[in-house]
Amino acid sequence: MSAVLEVKDLKMYYSTKQGMVKAADGISFTVNQGESMGLVGESGCGKTSVSMSIMRLLAENAKIVGGQILFKGQDIVKLKEEEMNKIRWAGIAMIFQAAMNSLNPVYRVGDQIIEAILAHEPDVTFEEARERVAELYKLVGLDPKRMDNYPHEYSGGMKQRAVIAMSLACNPDLIIADEPTTALDVIVQDMILKELSKIQKKLNMSMIYISHDIAVIAEVAEKIAIMYSGKIVELSDAVTIFKKPAHPYTVGLMSSFPSIHGEKKKLVTIPGEPPNLLNAPDHCRFAPRCPFATKECWEKTPPYEEIEPNHYVACFHPQNLRKQVSING
Amino acid sequence: MDEAKSAVAQETVLKVEHLKKFFPLRKSPFSRAKSFLHAVDDLNFEIKRGEVLGLVGESGCGKTTTGKTLLRLYEPTDGKITFLGKDVTHLKSAQDRKWFHSKSQMIFQDPFESLNPRKTIFDIVSEPMNIQNEGSLKQREERVMEILKRVGISPPDAFLWRYPHELSGGQRQRVAIARALVMNPQFVVADEPTSMLDVSIRTQVMTLMMDLIADMHMTFIYITHDLAVARYMTDHIAVMYLGRMVEYGETEDVIQNPLHPYTKALISAVPIPDPEFKRKSLQIKGGIGKAIDPPKICRFYERCPFATERCGKEEPPLYDVGNGHKVACFLYEKDGK
Repeated sequence: MSAVLEVKDLKMYYSTKQGMVKAADGISFTVNQGESMGLVGESGCGKTSVSMSIMRLLAENAKIVGGQILFKGQDIVKLKEEEMNKIRWAGIAMIFQAAMNSLNPVYRVGDQIIEAILAHEPDVTFEEARERVAELYKLVGLDPKRMDNYPHEYSGGMKQRAVIAMSLACNPDLIIADEPTTALDVIVQDMILKELSKIQKKLNMSMIYISHDIAVIAEVAEKIAIMYSGKIVELSDAVTIFKKPAHPYTVGLMSSFPSIHGEKKKLVTIPGEPPNLLNAPDHCRFAPRCPFATKECWEKTPPYEEIEPNHYVACFHPQNLRKQVSING
Repeated sequence: MDEAKSAVAQETVLKVEHLKKFFPLRKSPFSRAKSFLHAVDDLNFEIKRGEVLGLVGESGCGKTTTGKTLLRLYEPTDGKITFLGKDVTHLKSAQDRKWFHSKSQMIFQDPFESLNPRKTIFDIVSEPMNIQNEGSLKQREERVMEILKRVGISPPDAFLWRYPHELSGGQRQRVAIARALVMNPQFVVADEPTSMLDVSIRTQVMTLMMDLIADMHMTFIYITHDLAVARYMTDHIAVMYLGRMVEYGETEDVIQNPLHPYTKALISAVPIPDPEFKRKSLQIKGGIGKAIDPPKICRFYERCPFATERCGKEEPPLYDVGNGHKVACFLYEKDGK
């Protein structure tokens, strides 16, 4: 398996009047060919900042201050804007949050996808592009006849499908889906997630799913990274993350999530609130909310280490390893 | 003591009979409405003291309209609402309105929009007392401090003169809950109160609400699209589809043993936070429409995988299949009473 994307110690900061906001602070992960990774975290933890760094779609006050983003071996942090333009969409495509609003209301949906194709592949004629869009519509479960409709004639689920079709338009190697189903109803969400998984396997694409909903991530991702306050605190395969979480935050997250499956367990609350990323402290950022915090946690930032094969954790007191410890004590 | 408690538990606080709310659809503001959107169509249920009823369904199924109509923020088109033995369907006199609105409250979905940004926390939370002319300024301040402390805003005096933008999302929702509870209401409608909150904060607010409901013996309607949340928050669930109640029953009963094909599809589509669990989902056709002048047939007819000819001709009534579990589907005609 070859790595499509390697992020190494990525640091992306926003400079604001109040100080530095360390939205991504030492992020490292790898996505292999055909692999789907989930990036989970609460709002403001920096997950969208990571995806925007990978796409190099940064706000004016945002800057990548360190680290590398290797896309097929090439460091895209150093690329010029024109070179990056070639990678965007053709190499890495993105399904944005609130996809329903990412379609232009005054253009026909099909034309918007054709535009994306023609912009990246000047050799393709309009007719060829139109044919390809019809193929893509079939792939995502839309009727090709609907190409000439405007976005307002589509339902929420259909717009989402159209946006997925658009992301596939230039055969990208990697798709980043940022909260792809958050605004949708459960039944539609279920259909879209199935569709995405199916297409990803069929085309052997790599995917990064970004979500706050661990249940959605559990359905689609093989590998999961848990983010907290600008850092990845735990990364492993999906089963390990759910069955043997090591970081106290992951442990808390798993037991605070209601499920309709299995017996009704008591929900555990994580006390406190996520910290502000502004002028983040030098110690472990979860320490104020952590039931296992010791003096050490308040003094140093725990290193991000491989504690078991393919299981990375940033914690001085990893759980569930030798003895079973639950957060209930 | 136990007898008194069970007597309290038996008391029906809210009774809803044949409740309807139609919205007229006009071509222009001056023309007569030719068609109507049946947002809530013939709802019947009752809620006892201390009971939490969950209204679940997809967006557009009429669950929010039901909540607002019950609180009399909308005028019902037809039907009868009885609250504490009194008919509150129309609330003609000012006195009745004052009485009803002091005892019923609503908690909204988005704590970023439901709090006035130009008012202090004290002004926001004391507003219901202000409107109802309750207590002196000092008494109001004491009561606001007490309720803020109860919802977990501490120390309350440090927050009294702050503005909503200085609070986090979780704290804002706590303030919104405090505002709803400051008059000790007996009936509260909460419309997706946790859907805008982060996972770790959501559990805190859910736990808080469960404690408050138990402590204050409130009658609660919890509107949500999230069945996993409903499982934890509610005693009974009413599943709505296009303005109709299609299934009603005890929460665990409905979740473990859904009967109506729509409920089955809905429950089978909920993602499970367990990567080793493989769901089998029941695929249904098409998407949810709008109940504009619906014909008198089963509203789920076109999407239902089990639909028969009869479903396209008549409307199924609610069949009681035992243990108070009711379902509006001809498949259960034999089991029903």
